[in-house]
Amino acid sequence: MTVVLYRVDERLIHGQVVLGWGRELRADRYVVVDDALADSEWEQELYRLSVADEHDVVFATLAAARAALPTWQVDGGRTVVLTRDVTTMADLAEGVATDGAEVNLGGIHHRPGRREVRPYLFLDDEDRDAVRRLVDAGTRVTGRDLPAATRVGLDQLLA
Amino acid sequence: MSSAPKGSGAAPETPLPPGVLRAVQLRGMFVQASWNYRTMQGNGMAWAMLPVLRRASEERRAAALDRHAEHFNGHPYFDSVALGALSRLEVDEADPETIRRFRAAIRGPLGALGDRVVWATAVPSFALLAAVLYWMGVPGAVVAFVFLVAYNALHLAIRAQGFALGWEAGTAVGPRLRGLDLTGRAERFAALTLALVGVVSGVLLAGGRGVGALEWPWFVAALGAFFVGYVGGVRLWRPTAIVTVGAVAILLALGSASLLSG
Amino acid sequence: MTELLGLALLGAWVTLDGVTVGQFMVSRPLVASGLAGLWLGDPATGFLVGAVLELFLLVAVPSGAGRFPEPGPAAVVGAAGAVWAAGPAGLALGVAAALLLGYAGALSQAAQRHLNVRWVPDPAVQPVTEAAIVRGHWSSLGVDAIRGFVLTALGLAAVRMAAPWASGAWPLDAAATRGLLLVGAFVSLGVLGRSLAARHLWVYLAVGAVVGLGLGAVWG
Repeated sequence: MTVVLYRVDERLIHGQVVLGWGRELRADRYVVVDDALADSEWEQELYRLSVADEHDVVFATLAAARAALPTWQVDGGRTVVLTRDVTTMADLAEGVATDGAEVNLGGIHHRPGRREVRPYLFLDDEDRDAVRRLVDAGTRVTGRDLPAATRVGLDQLLA
Repeated sequence: MSSAPKGSGAAPETPLPPGVLRAVQLRGMFVQASWNYRTMQGNGMAWAMLPVLRRASEERRAAALDRHAEHFNGHPYFDSVALGALSRLEVDEADPETIRRFRAAIRGPLGALGDRVVWATAVPSFALLAAVLYWMGVPGAVVAFVFLVAYNALHLAIRAQGFALGWEAGTAVGPRLRGLDLTGRAERFAALTLALVGVVSGVLLAGGRGVGALEWPWFVAALGAFFVGYVGGVRLWRPTAIVTVGAVAILLALGSASLLSG
Repeated sequence: MTELLGLALLGAWVTLDGVTVGQFMVSRPLVASGLAGLWLGDPATGFLVGAVLELFLLVAVPSGAGRFPEPGPAAVVGAAGAVWAAGPAGLALGVAAALLLGYAGALSQAAQRHLNVRWVPDPAVQPVTEAAIVRGHWSSLGVDAIRGFVLTALGLAAVRMAAPWASGAWPLDAAATRGLLLVGAFVSLGVLGRSLAARHLWVYLAVGAVVGLGLGAVWG
C-alpha cells in the first residue's frame, strides 16, 4: 500500500519504533538501509529480535533500497524505512521519494560538534546539509521521537 | 563482519575467579543509576562491567573503558543479556570492533524485548491481578506482598537467565533469544492481559468496594468513561488526569465558598 | 518529625526503585502508598489511595522517554494526604495531590537527566577513566536520592497544610467521592484496554468483564 514512515534512528529497530510507531501505523514491514549491516548476518539476527515473527524485516544496501523503494511505495505492505543517519536517508530519497512524504528524525545521539535540538536529537553541519537535501527532494522533515510527541519543525532543526 | 562469532561455546582460556561474573551481574541492578541524555545507560553499563574490565590486559584496558561507556539504552532487566555477552567477549579478548558493533546492535533489541515483555505485558498484568484481588476485598497488605513476590520472581529470573544466556552465547545470542520467542509469547499473553482489564472493570462495576455500591448513574458514567478511554487511546490520559485534579480543586473551592457564606 | 522524616526517606527509596536501582516495583502506587499508610498507622487508607492510583497509572510504565507521572514519591504523598485529611476529603486530596506531584516528579527527573550529563563521562568527548565512571555513577545516584527526598518532603508539606482545610471544605460524601475518582480511573482502564486490543482481541475483554462482573457481584 505505502511507506508509512521514513525514520532516521541510530538504534534502527527498537521499542519506540516497533511499539510506539509500528503499532500506531499498523506497519508490517521494516526496511533497514545500511550497507555494512546488509552484509553481516549475526548483526541482522540481533536487529530482527525486536520485530514479531509475522512481520517482514529487510536489510538492504543503499543501492538495493533505491531500486526497491518505488515498489514498496505501491505494493501491499505497510513499510517503515529506517536509516542510521540523515545522509543515508537523503541519498535514498533523492529522485525516488514521494512528494510530500514525511521524514522523521527520531534518534540521533550526541557526539562532538553536534548541537542538541531535543534530548533525543543532536545535529551537526553534515546532518543539517542532509536535511536540506531531503527538503529539496520534496519531503517534509520533522523531529519527533514518538507519535504522541509534538513535531519539531524545520526552523528548529536548521537553527 | 559476517565471520563466525567469537566467544560462542568454548570455555574461556583464563579461568575467572567465580566472584567476578557474579559481581557484574549484581551491578546490573544499577545499570540506570547514571541515566543521562548523552550516553543514557552507557555509564551504568561501564560501571557494571568494571570487575571484568579491571582484569583486562594493560594494552586493552583504556580502550575497553571507552567502548563500554559509549551510548547504550536497552532495558534494565534485559541488559543482563548484554552484560553476560560483553563479559564473555572481553574475557575472550574478542576483536574490539566486533565488541563495539555487538554493543550497538544489541541495545535496541533488548530495549524492544523489555518494552514488550516487561513494560507492556508483565507490569500491567501483575498490577491488574493485584487490582482484581484488592477490589474483591483481599487485604491490601496481602495483595502488595503477593504482587511483589510474584513479580520479582519473574524479574530476577529474567536477570539471572539473561546473564547466563549472554555469557554462554556471546555474539551468537540473537538466534538463542529468538528461539525463546519472548516477543511472540508476550504478544499472545496480551489477550490474557486484556481479559484482566475486563475482569478488573467488571469487579469495580459490580463489587461493593467499587462502583457497584453506588447509585446507577455512577455505573453509567464509569462504563462511558471506559469507552471514551478505549476509543480515544493514550492521548486522553493526560487530559483525564488534569480533569480529575481540576474537579477535586473546583469542588474544594465550592466547598470553601459555601463554608464562608454559610 | 520522625513521622515526616520516615515518609521522606520512603519517598527517596521508591524514587530510586523507579528507575535508578533495581526496579523491584516497590514504587508502584499500591505498594508505595500502602507502605506510607503502614508507617502512618492507617494501612487501610494507604492501600485504598494506592489502589485508586494504581488504576490511574496502569499505563504509566517507564519505557522510552516516558511522559507519564513518576509514581513512587507521588504515591507516598498521596497516602499521607489521605490519612491526614481523613475520610472522603482525604481520598480526594490524596489522589489529586499524587497526580500533580507525579508530573512534578517526571519534570524533575528529566531535569536531573540533563544535569547528569555534567558528571557522567562521555568517551565521545574525552577518554574515560575508571575513576570518572565511578564518580559519575555515585553522583547521579546520590542526586536522585536527594531529589526523591526533597520532592516527597515538599509534597508532604503541601498536603499537610491543605489537609485541615480540605477535610472541612470537601462537599461530597464517601460514595460520590469514590464514584468521581473511579470514573477517572475507568478512562485509564479504557486506554490500557485500547493499547492491548490489537487484532480483534476485544472478545477477551468482554469475557473478562463478564467474569469480573460475576466475581464483583458475588464477593466484591
